[in-house]
Amino acid sequence: MTDASDDRVSRSRHERELQARAEAEALLEEKSRELYLANQKLAQHTATLEQVVLERTAEMRLALERAEAASTARSRFLATMSHEIRTPLGGLLGMIDLLSMDEQDPQKLELLNYAKSAGVGLSRIVNDVLDFSKMEAGVFLFEEENVDLRALIESIRIFVASQEHGADRKVITRIADNVPKLFLGDATRIRQIISNLVNNALRYSNDGPVIVRASARDHAGSLLLRVEVEDFGVGIAESEIGNLFKDFTQIANPLTAAAQGTGLGLAICKRIMNGVGGTISVDSTLGEGSTFWFELPVEVVTHPDAQGLDGSTTARALPPGGITGRRVLIAEDNLINQKLLLTYADRMGLKADLAENGRIALEKFAPGKYDVLLMDVAMPEMDGLEATRRIRDKWAAGQIPPILALTAHVMDAIEDEARQVGIHQIVSKPIPFEELKQAIETALSPETGQVPPHREAPSAKTAEHPAAATAQRIPDRPTLATLMSEEAHGKLFGIFGAEGLADLASKFVSDSNERIELLLAADAAGDTYEVSQQAHSLKGASITLGFDEMADWARQIEHQETQRHNASVAETARRFQARLRELQAVLPPA
Amino acid sequence: MKGVIFVELIKMAEATFGEKTVDSVLETADLANGGAYTRVGNYPCAELVKIVMAFSAHSGISADALQTKFGHWMMQVFVTHYPEFFVDKPDAFALLESVDQEIHVEVRKLYPDAELPRFDTRRPASNHLEMLYSSPRPLDPFCHGMIEACLEHFGAPGQITRTAHPRLENTTTFDITLTR
Repeated sequence: MTDASDDRVSRSRHERELQARAEAEALLEEKSRELYLANQKLAQHTATLEQVVLERTAEMRLALERAEAASTARSRFLATMSHEIRTPLGGLLGMIDLLSMDEQDPQKLELLNYAKSAGVGLSRIVNDVLDFSKMEAGVFLFEEENVDLRALIESIRIFVASQEHGADRKVITRIADNVPKLFLGDATRIRQIISNLVNNALRYSNDGPVIVRASARDHAGSLLLRVEVEDFGVGIAESEIGNLFKDFTQIANPLTAAAQGTGLGLAICKRIMNGVGGTISVDSTLGEGSTFWFELPVEVVTHPDAQGLDGSTTARALPPGGITGRRVLIAEDNLINQKLLLTYADRMGLKADLAENGRIALEKFAPGKYDVLLMDVAMPEMDGLEATRRIRDKWAAGQIPPILALTAHVMDAIEDEARQVGIHQIVSKPIPFEELKQAIETALSPETGQVPPHREAPSAKTAEHPAAATAQRIPDRPTLATLMSEEAHGKLFGIFGAEGLADLASKFVSDSNERIELLLAADAAGDTYEVSQQAHSLKGASITLGFDEMADWARQIEHQETQRHNASVAETARRFQARLRELQAVLPPA
Repeated sequence: MKGVIFVELIKMAEATFGEKTVDSVLETADLANGGAYTRVGNYPCAELVKIVMAFSAHSGISADALQTKFGHWMMQVFVTHYPEFFVDKPDAFALLESVDQEIHVEVRKLYPDAELPRFDTRRPASNHLEMLYSSPRPLDPFCHGMIEACLEHFGAPGQITRTAHPRLENTTTFDITLTR
């Protein structure tokens, strides 16, 4: 079996191999085809998947856009409502303040006091409800800034003492040494909570002191701040404590009648605490008193930056020599607020200059010319934030005095931007006299405020701005008095003074001229509704200023009674216009 | 059943009985495809049994003994062609335990339609492995041979007893006890 034929493969073996090979090739072909089909299917799946992903992405984007739009709309609505409610409220409270300052008659003073406390109560409720709504809408934001707790509590103490219910009460503060001088937190909200607790303590107790304590201890690598507010008042039954921090609840007790409110205060405090990662609670014994406390983790600030001049610094170190004689530029477009602020400034002994909008404020501003700027946020042509930004762009920081923003908006909505453009402090409307004074004093105090270049050689530019001198000019315009009713003139002169009154009248003229134009255009177009609207406005303004005859003409137009007086709407309007010209003639040139 | 088993069985027969014998035995075995097999094909198990029976008849060696011998052969094939099965297996038991848990998992990835037997294992003692072989195919002696070869491969002498499961159908228990 060793010859060559042994190496040859037998026929049957050869055929088996061929068959196996054919089979293997057939299998290979089949598998290739399967693979090809599988690949095709896979590609199809991929395409479908991509399509699905695209569709889902589009859906999600749309949903997101809708949610964002809804959120923006909510936010804007709240800001608008806040503005719309606070502005008239501020005017109301301001006017009451002004009336109280001049009123000698004790009976009237009492009435004014009632009006004032009702207004303050309303203002508190409005603020609570707005805060609460903001939380509901999820647009309540928390800030991180340097907080000086000692100064903050002290300012609350001073403020409470100035309030009616706190005037004869003792608020004692005990702040432990281990409470850091500065820490990071939301000063506004911390202030809101402490102030709320102190006010509650005063409202729910008749006598005894209110003790505010603060301490700190180490906690999970940072510091846990604890603030307690203790009173010796009515106390709270244990069964009631659970309801205390719920929305819209108030505990009925003999003092509740006096302690009006929305029942939102503590609910808001609790939400704020939740928002900043703290806890708030109360220890209380019925009939003996309560200790409300909150704890929140804080980060200690060891190197406060030089710019740490935000809302947290509330110490009231008075500027040397007070604020009398300091110069203030007031940028404000609303006529009522202009009068209010100018009169306030006058009472504070400030020398005030007015800019009707941000652009004018920007034009009027020059280094060394003013010690403080009051900047309304919402103004036509150029808003307060933009004006501030441009002032900051144009001049060096050392040349710019403190800038206070005045706003009736929800503060959170503009706080960030205000800070960015370099607003020194935001004062929320309605602005009571004391609060504004305090804010200006704080801004001008050398400890907390930027020290303005105090009466250094005024730049040449000052001379180019005659407006700066108008504050000293006291025009004598008896003719204006003759045009006004005696009664109105007497009243308004008392409040605004001659110059203020002339200014008011001048505003009236320009505003009315615009309205007359609109009225005439509407009349020509046959839009009786618009005619009546404009006439209504003209009537109101005329009555306020004691232009009785003009008020009557406006009334005739409003009620479509001009025919009875043998005149058309247009004729009556022209008569009104002519009177405005007369009035303009007796006013000092703008 | 995968074609590789058939190809290897015939290779073993050729090595044992010579090509001419294999040619003539296959011709008489009445096989569906005349004994032509490819590694990548699939063939019924009954064919395998037929081949074994044919060689048994030709040689006088019992079918069981041939299956056991083929078990040894296949273990050697695996050692040669699939060394990765053995790489991190410290001993015979580890490899036997991995059949169901690892090797068959891999096989299923390549051949989703493969009909694989089950090997459930249990270790009552460190030197005792109980292996339950469940398969509709009557290949117990083949498994026996593989287990023997596995012990030999790892140089671990032991005793293997094979008993039909008292209750479960198509299930055989292998009790493997190491003697050293």
